Amino acid sequence: MLESLQYIYAPQIVNGLSIGVAVVLMALGLTIIFGLLDVINMSHGEFYAAGAFISVSLMAMGVSFWLCLLLVPLFLIPIGFAMERLLIQKVFHYKDRHILTLLLTFGVAMVLEDGYKIIWGANPIKPSAPISGASELLGVMFPNYRLFLMGFGALIIFSVWALIYKTQLGAIVRASAYDKDMSSSLGIPVKRVYALTFAFGVALAGIAGVLLAPIYSVFPTMGRDFILMAFSVVIVGGLGSIKGAVIAGILLTQLQSISSLFISPVWSDPLVFTVMVLVLMFKPTGLYGGMKNA
Amino acid sequence: MSNSEIILKARSLSKRFGGLKAVDDVSFEVTRLGVTSIIGPNGAGKSTLFNLLSGTFMADSGLVELDGQNVTRMSPEGRLSSGMARSFQITNLFFDLTVIENLRIASQALEPHSNLFFPLSKSTVAIDRANELLTEFGLLESRNQLAGALSHGQQRRLEIAVTLATRPKLLLLDEPTQGMSQGDTQDTAELIKRLGSKITVLLIEHDVDLVMDLSKIVIVMAQGKKLAEGIPSEVRANPLVQTAYFGEELA
Amino acid sequence: MHNPQAKAIRLIEILLLVSAVALFVIGSILGDTFFLRLATESLIFGGLAMSVDLLLGIVGLLSLGQALYFGFGAYLSALVLKEISPSFFLAIGVVTLSSIALGWVASFVALRSKGVYFALITFGLAQVVAKVVYNTRSLGASDGMMGVPILQIWTPFGIVDAGQPGIFFVITMITIGALYAVLKYFLTTPMGSIWHAIRSNEDRLAYVGYKSKGPKQVAFILAAVVAAVSGALYPMLRGFVSPELMFFSVSGNAVVTVVLGGVGTLIGPILGSVLLTSFKSIIGTWTVHHHIVIGLIFVVVVVSAPKGIAGLLAKYFGKAHSGKGGE
Repeated sequence: MLESLQYIYAPQIVNGLSIGVAVVLMALGLTIIFGLLDVINMSHGEFYAAGAFISVSLMAMGVSFWLCLLLVPLFLIPIGFAMERLLIQKVFHYKDRHILTLLLTFGVAMVLEDGYKIIWGANPIKPSAPISGASELLGVMFPNYRLFLMGFGALIIFSVWALIYKTQLGAIVRASAYDKDMSSSLGIPVKRVYALTFAFGVALAGIAGVLLAPIYSVFPTMGRDFILMAFSVVIVGGLGSIKGAVIAGILLTQLQSISSLFISPVWSDPLVFTVMVLVLMFKPTGLYGGMKNA
Repeated sequence: MSNSEIILKARSLSKRFGGLKAVDDVSFEVTRLGVTSIIGPNGAGKSTLFNLLSGTFMADSGLVELDGQNVTRMSPEGRLSSGMARSFQITNLFFDLTVIENLRIASQALEPHSNLFFPLSKSTVAIDRANELLTEFGLLESRNQLAGALSHGQQRRLEIAVTLATRPKLLLLDEPTQGMSQGDTQDTAELIKRLGSKITVLLIEHDVDLVMDLSKIVIVMAQGKKLAEGIPSEVRANPLVQTAYFGEELA
Repeated sequence: MHNPQAKAIRLIEILLLVSAVALFVIGSILGDTFFLRLATESLIFGGLAMSVDLLLGIVGLLSLGQALYFGFGAYLSALVLKEISPSFFLAIGVVTLSSIALGWVASFVALRSKGVYFALITFGLAQVVAKVVYNTRSLGASDGMMGVPILQIWTPFGIVDAGQPGIFFVITMITIGALYAVLKYFLTTPMGSIWHAIRSNEDRLAYVGYKSKGPKQVAFILAAVVAAVSGALYPMLRGFVSPELMFFSVSGNAVVTVVLGGVGTLIGPILGSVLLTSFKSIIGTWTVHHHIVIGLIFVVVVVSAPKGIAGLLAKYFGKAHSGKGGE
C-alpha cells in the first residue's frame, strides 16, 4: 500500500503537477483575457506554440534557455498588443462580439498554425532539457527539470495573482473589467489596458510553451492539442476566475495523470472533457465566479 | 367592492437582495379600467415591485392575484397568456428585426400554439392585430425598418405597441416616457389615457405632474414600503408623502 | 422583393442551381469525374455548414461541435450500408430518425448554457465523442471504416448507379436541396419567427408569450438532422469514414464556411462551401499551405464584412434600391 503510494502514485502526481502548472499558466492567460475583454481567445494555443518555437530558434542561435524565458514574453507582448488593437478592437463594437472575436481569433489560429509549418516544418523538434539529472525525494527519483518547472511555474502563478490583486495596476485592470465606462470616466486608458491585458495573457501562454518544450516535442499543431485541456480548466474553474483556473488546473491534470494509471491514457482526455461538460451542465458558471467577484 | 372589480391584487409582497429589503410587505389592489400609478423616489422599490408583478423575479413571500387567479409562481409567459403584459423602462425590443416583425412575433401568441409549425396565412388574427397596431401607433411608414434604426420616440412607442399585441387585460408600463421629448411625452400621456378607457393600466412614472393628471389612484412607495395610496389630490396633500417624496424634489 | 437580403438569397439560389445544372451537363458530356466529385463533396460539407448557420445565423447559437452529428450520420450510414443493406433510403431513414434522438438527448446537455458557454460545451461534447470513436476498435478506431459498397438507388426513373459521379452529384443536390427547403419552410412559420426573436433578444421573448427553451430545442434537433443527413452522404461518395470527420477542424471549417458565405442566409453557407472547396483544390495544386490563405481571408471577412458574401450582395442591393428611390 505505502509502497505503491511511493513508487507509483508519487511520481505520477509530480508528473501531473509539473504539467499542471503549465496548464494553469495557459489557463490564467485565457481566463484573464476573458475576464477583462469577454473574449474567448481561440488562438491561445498557437501563442503557446509560438513560445515553444521561438525558444527553439533562439536556443539554436546560442541563446540560453533562461534568457529565453525572459525574451519570449518580450517578443509576444507587442504581437499580442498589436493583435488586440488591430483586429479584436475592429469587431468590439458589434452586439455579437462574443462570437465575432471568437471567430476572429480562430482565424488567427489557422494562420499561425500554418505559418509555423512554413517556418519550422511539420516535424516535431525536441529541445534538450536545460537541467538534467534527477533528485531523490522521499526515496523516489524525480527529474530535476520537472521540479524546476513546478517551482518556477508556481512562482509565476503567484506573481500574476499578486499583480492583479495586490497592485495599483491590477486594481486598474479589475476596475476596467467591472465597469468600462466608469473606469474610462475616471481617466483610466481603458483601450490600452485591454490591449496590454491581452498581450499579457498571450505572453503567459508563451512562457508555458517555453517551459513545456523540453518535455513535449515542439510541432505546429501542439497548441491545438493543449488548448482543449486549457479550455476545460477555464470552464471548470469559471471563466474569468483566477482562483478557479489554479484549482481546476491542478485538479484536472491530477485527474488525467492519476486516471491514466487505471485506464488507458487515451481515455483520460474524454474523462477530462466529461468532467467539463458535467460542470457546465450543473454549474454553468464554473466553480468560481468571474474576476469581478472573486 | 365586488371581487370582479379587482383585476390585480398584491398581498404582503416582499423581496430581498442580500441584506436589502427591496420590496417590504407591500399590499394593494388595482381596480378594473383606468390608470393606477406607482410613484416614489429612486430606489423606492417600484421597479422591483413591477418585476414581482410581471414574473421577472419571484417574490420571497406574498401573493399576486390576477383576475382572481393566483399567479405568484407563474412565469412571465404564463402571466402573459393570463392577460398581463409589461413594457420596459429601458427599451427592450427585437432590435435587429423590422417593426412589423416585432409586432407579428408579439401578436403570434394570439394564435393557438398548435399552429407553430404552419405558416400564418395573410389574414389571421395575429397579422391583423400587427397591422392594426402599426396604424394606431403611427408606425406604418417605418414598418420595414429595423427596430434598432428607429428614433428614440418611435422605439418607445413600439415598446408599448409590442406589449399591447396580445390584447392584455392589464398593462404594466414601466416609465414609458423615459428620455422622451416634451412633445412626445404629451402624446404618450394622451395615449395612456386612451388605453385606460379600454383596459387597466398600471404605471410607474417619474413625472409626478403627468401621474397626477392621468391616474385615478396613486400609490406612493418609499424604501420598499407602501407609504400612501389614494386619489391624486389626497396623495398630494398627504404630509408623509410630501416629506418623503415631494420634499426631496424641493430640496 | 424589397428586402435586399431576400434578393441576395434568391440570386445565390439561382446562381448555384444554374452552375449545378451546367456542371452536370458539361461534366456528363465530357465524362468528368474530378469536378463532379469535388462539387458533390462541397455540397455535403455545405449541408453541414447550413446546419451551423441554422443555429448561428437564425437562432444565435454558435456550435463549435456540429461535426459530431455529421460524423454520427456518416458512421451510421456506413454501418447500415455495410452491415444491413446497401439501400440509400434505409440509410437516410435510419440516420434521420437516430439523429432526432441524438439531437434530443444532446440538446439537454448543450442548451443548459448560453453564449460562449454553449460554444464551448458543444466543442467539448464533440471532442469527447470524437476521442471515444477514435479509440473504439469496433468502429475501426483511428482507421475508420472502409469498403462501403457502391449503391444502386431506386428512383421513379428506374434504378440508378450511384457509382457514377454525375448521378450521385444529382442525388446529393436533391438531398441537400430538400434539407434547404425544409429549413426555409420552418422560417416561414411562427416557429421561425421565434428563432429570429431568440437571436435578437432572448430575454424579451417571455414577455411576448413564449418560452425560448422549446423552440431552441427544435432548432437544435433540426440542425442535428441536417448535419447527420449530410454526413450520411459522405460514405456513399467516398466509400469510407474516418474519425477525422468528427474532429474540431471539420466543425471549425463549417463555421468558417458559414461566415464566408453569409451568416443567417442558409444558402450562403452552401455557396461558401462550394467556393472554399474549389479554392482549396485550386491552391492545393501549388501549395499545401491553404490554411494560411483561408485563415487570412477569414480574418479579413470577419473584420470587414462579418455578413459574408451574401451580406455584401444585400448591401449592394440595398444601395441600388435606395439609389433608385432617391431619383
